[in-house]
Amino acid sequence: MSIPGDEQFTYSPNRELESAAKVRALEALLIEKGVIGSETVNKVLEYFESQMGPFNGAKLVAKAWVDPAFKELLIQDCNEACNSIGMTTGMSGAEGEHMRVAENTPSVHNLIICTLCSCYPWPTLGLPPYWYKDPTFRARAAREPRKVLQEFGLNLDNSINIRVWDSSGQIRWWVLPERPAGTEHMSEEELAALVTPESMMGVAKVALP
Amino acid sequence: MKLQHSLGGLEGLGSVDFQKKVFVEQWEKRIFGIHAAMMGLSTHLKDSLPKYPIDQIPTTFKDIWTWADLRRGAEAMNPFDYFKLRYYEKWLGGISGFFVEKGYISQEELDEKTSFYLKEGNVDPTPLPQKVVPAIDDQVIKYLELGDSPKQDVDVTPKFSAGDAVVVKNMPVVDHTRLPGHLRGKPGIIDLVYEGCYAYFPGPSDGLGPAQPSYSVRFDPKDIWGEDLAEPGSTFYADLFELYLDAA
Repeated sequence: MSIPGDEQFTYSPNRELESAAKVRALEALLIEKGVIGSETVNKVLEYFESQMGPFNGAKLVAKAWVDPAFKELLIQDCNEACNSIGMTTGMSGAEGEHMRVAENTPSVHNLIICTLCSCYPWPTLGLPPYWYKDPTFRARAAREPRKVLQEFGLNLDNSINIRVWDSSGQIRWWVLPERPAGTEHMSEEELAALVTPESMMGVAKVALP
Repeated sequence: MKLQHSLGGLEGLGSVDFQKKVFVEQWEKRIFGIHAAMMGLSTHLKDSLPKYPIDQIPTTFKDIWTWADLRRGAEAMNPFDYFKLRYYEKWLGGISGFFVEKGYISQEELDEKTSFYLKEGNVDPTPLPQKVVPAIDDQVIKYLELGDSPKQDVDVTPKFSAGDAVVVKNMPVVDHTRLPGHLRGKPGIIDLVYEGCYAYFPGPSDGLGPAQPSYSVRFDPKDIWGEDLAEPGSTFYADLFELYLDAA
């Protein structure tokens, strides 16, 4: 006997192949009909691989760790901070026109979520990972952030206040994580290599390898 | 109510899948790229800053396509389907449906072409049609680089100041909103008045559109979830358009 609702969640065994064929069909038709060119999608993907990714955010975080004046500017005006170090092209581009940074401290931990969709600061972080878009994360992080962070392996002391930022408007928020201890000897480049997208959304701390 | 508007605080969902990949299947990259191209070719960009020369781009795309259109589609879904489908599966359904509805392609040709590519348990390796259009590519990349800022220089004085007590309105449920459902009717404090005014994309919503002040509003989780369910030691912030706020 089938359970009511069971049918709702039955997937075709060809689920992925059917989607792959459908998206290829759609792209082919859009090219044939002159909506896009045959290189348009490739160019977009190349742009995210080389220009708009978490490597930008990591660079900003590392700079903020070694340069207090820059950190101040980054928190006051993230877009201007990007301009000030010559990261102009694209840093106020799509989904990063107006960015703000929330700073983690020994007593405050910030977590960015988007309960309505998947708003994410593209210029500094690139495209959102699946966990961020997952309805379960979006639903639960709003009400029980400490528990969700524990499940992500981040156990915060009860004395630390968790600030949850729901990106429901036109500002794209991200997190300035704390610099880990034992990195005093590291160069800006070495520091940037430690910074993960997860640490810049607040579900992880920056750790030494 | 629409479940998609009220995900915040939904109970009984189990553990979070901590999948760090942006795309879990290669095909997902293609639908993302198509969406980004549509955003970069959307006719509304001719009025945005910078004024993109959209009329001069040699594309047959002659519609508005923004986040609002994608979100409106996701918010209009049967909620069971919303949960059933993966993120980019929803995009593929919404975007291909848009092109059929607007007459760019027919359902028959999409189905026929899909069958052509889906052969013997594989995606046919036949290359995509070759028709490079650099002017389209350049416009799309320019859009990614320069964006579509919703901030406008209009002379409106914000109704509220930092520290003011407000109550979130219980707006009627419509096609599209930027008001998270779990905040409806809840009291909060203006934490930050954003400088300038912010517009929203065209299309049906609960009154968004014209540039207006917006705020970061601070909530005590106890006010949102009640004493028993709120986690101690946390604060909730949301970015809200002025439209959604009343003085407390």
